[in-house]
Amino acid sequence: MRLFGIETEYGITRDDVPEMDPVVESMELVRAHLAASFERRWDYAGEDPREDARGFRVSGLQQDREEDEFAKADAHRPFSFHDMKSDLVLPNGARFYNDHTHPEYSTPECRTIRDLLAQDRAGERIVLRAAQRRNQMLGGGHVKLYKNNTDFHGHSYGCHDNYLVSRAVPFPALVAGLVPFLVSRQVIAGAGKVGTEAQESGYVPGRYQLSQRADFMEAELGVDTMHNRPILNTRDEPHADRRKYRRLHLIIGDANMCEYATALKVGTTRLVLDLIERGAAPEIELDQPVAAVKQLSRDPDLKAVVRLKNGRRLSALELQESYCEAARRELAGSDEESDWLLAEWGDVLHLLARDRSQLVGKLDWVTKQWLLETFMREERIGWDDPWLASLDLEYHNVDPEQGLYLGLEADKKVWRVTTDDAIEDAVRNGPRDTRGGLRGVCVQRFSDQIKSIQWERIQFSGGLCTHNLDMGDLFNSEDVRGCIDIFQHAHSPVDALATWSHRKDMET
Amino acid sequence: MKHSMMPERREGPVDPMPKSPRPLEEGGGPRRPESGSPDKDNLMKRMRKVDPKQAERYRQRTGE
Repeated sequence: MRLFGIETEYGITRDDVPEMDPVVESMELVRAHLAASFERRWDYAGEDPREDARGFRVSGLQQDREEDEFAKADAHRPFSFHDMKSDLVLPNGARFYNDHTHPEYSTPECRTIRDLLAQDRAGERIVLRAAQRRNQMLGGGHVKLYKNNTDFHGHSYGCHDNYLVSRAVPFPALVAGLVPFLVSRQVIAGAGKVGTEAQESGYVPGRYQLSQRADFMEAELGVDTMHNRPILNTRDEPHADRRKYRRLHLIIGDANMCEYATALKVGTTRLVLDLIERGAAPEIELDQPVAAVKQLSRDPDLKAVVRLKNGRRLSALELQESYCEAARRELAGSDEESDWLLAEWGDVLHLLARDRSQLVGKLDWVTKQWLLETFMREERIGWDDPWLASLDLEYHNVDPEQGLYLGLEADKKVWRVTTDDAIEDAVRNGPRDTRGGLRGVCVQRFSDQIKSIQWERIQFSGGLCTHNLDMGDLFNSEDVRGCIDIFQHAHSPVDALATWSHRKDMET
Repeated sequence: MKHSMMPERREGPVDPMPKSPRPLEEGGGPRRPESGSPDKDNLMKRMRKVDPKQAERYRQRTGE
């Protein structure tokens, strides 16, 4: 089983000031999580967004100029770069910080869809509680957070899904196998959007589309993430032993409110990666993938067809059915979770073609469309009414007292895997079978002895020396459980590291 | 985009009742939504409270 995780950048507003300062608000929101003052611990070594999986390093990113301008504008602030980032590692192994003026919650690494859903929902609660504390300080409910991907004025922010992949799989094989799948994945994973827009240019109200991000896809491949966004991001930042692993970093996806949509978004992608590793992915080559993303998104009737390089034309559902069929042939019986995913994937494609009313409460774009059309009938308004974009935004409000999706959830009209208890447990603890859970245990037990921390390494202080827990190749679930057990019971991290080192020596 | 230019739209669902999915694993699977329409009054009330100009005011910096 491979590992996966989700990073979510939240939209943030504050309504008691004429113009919100996004740098300060995002930073203060993250810091509202803390009971004590912020201490810099995050280690940025190993983060290099210019390294490209195609085998080279770019000299710059398209966002650099804009980032430089923001840096100049932000230079007068009494905060350092690290103050502004306010990078935290939480007791569940998640990362919570200010990324490009958006509070970002990155789940700990997960091995099962069930854990991922709990950790993703835990993120919603963590950011909500931070907003509630911030609002207490401000004396009113002024700060609001949105789990979406657009401001309806041409500014997008991401929800990235990440997968651990063997470095033995050639990158061109990943590209060939994934692009047609990702272009059409929005029929399942799209969050729905009222209107159309483009990067930093005008919003046109009216047309309802499947995806929030499709309008912002401008390239097939690329290392950029803020401009000229690609269908398949080529950033080569494995956060693991580079000789053995890649981290597939997908930026095309929408932020989902529906647990079912999150489960299928990540679950079907995991199955397609399994297919690619076995050399069993369908051989499909789209003629114009970037145009196809937009074309398919703007067709909620799912009738549009896109041209393949061999001249054939396929709809989004037909593309997905090709992958689903291949996965069923190759992966059926692999494990219980794969079988569940295969069955649900087939069912959802069938229902999208024949009776999508069955998917309300399961797929975001279907649920949102149903909500908006119900409202339009009640209020006798059309798709070009600006009220609909506001309702679209409010669908994603993470406050259960205000959010439209969470209103449906409170009415028990949506499909759920998680329970409130499971989410609360995920707020406090990471998965017990991944290094995310181990990272969390280290934070819970030895926070004051952590000198620096990041995805693949924790550096503890102790005496004159520093002591490293290297997790760059710690992916076997039994090894992880053993290491967690050691850190759970050791008197100090130095003792734990000695015991862990001894155990590994005995095994070799 | 004007309303008249919109493609023909299939009627949206009016009575959402997703069927019961299979469990993800033993020991507790997904819970089936309760049958029947959502409480339309509550939901419509919540939707009507949304300021029609809210999206117009909503501005973010570009993220990733």
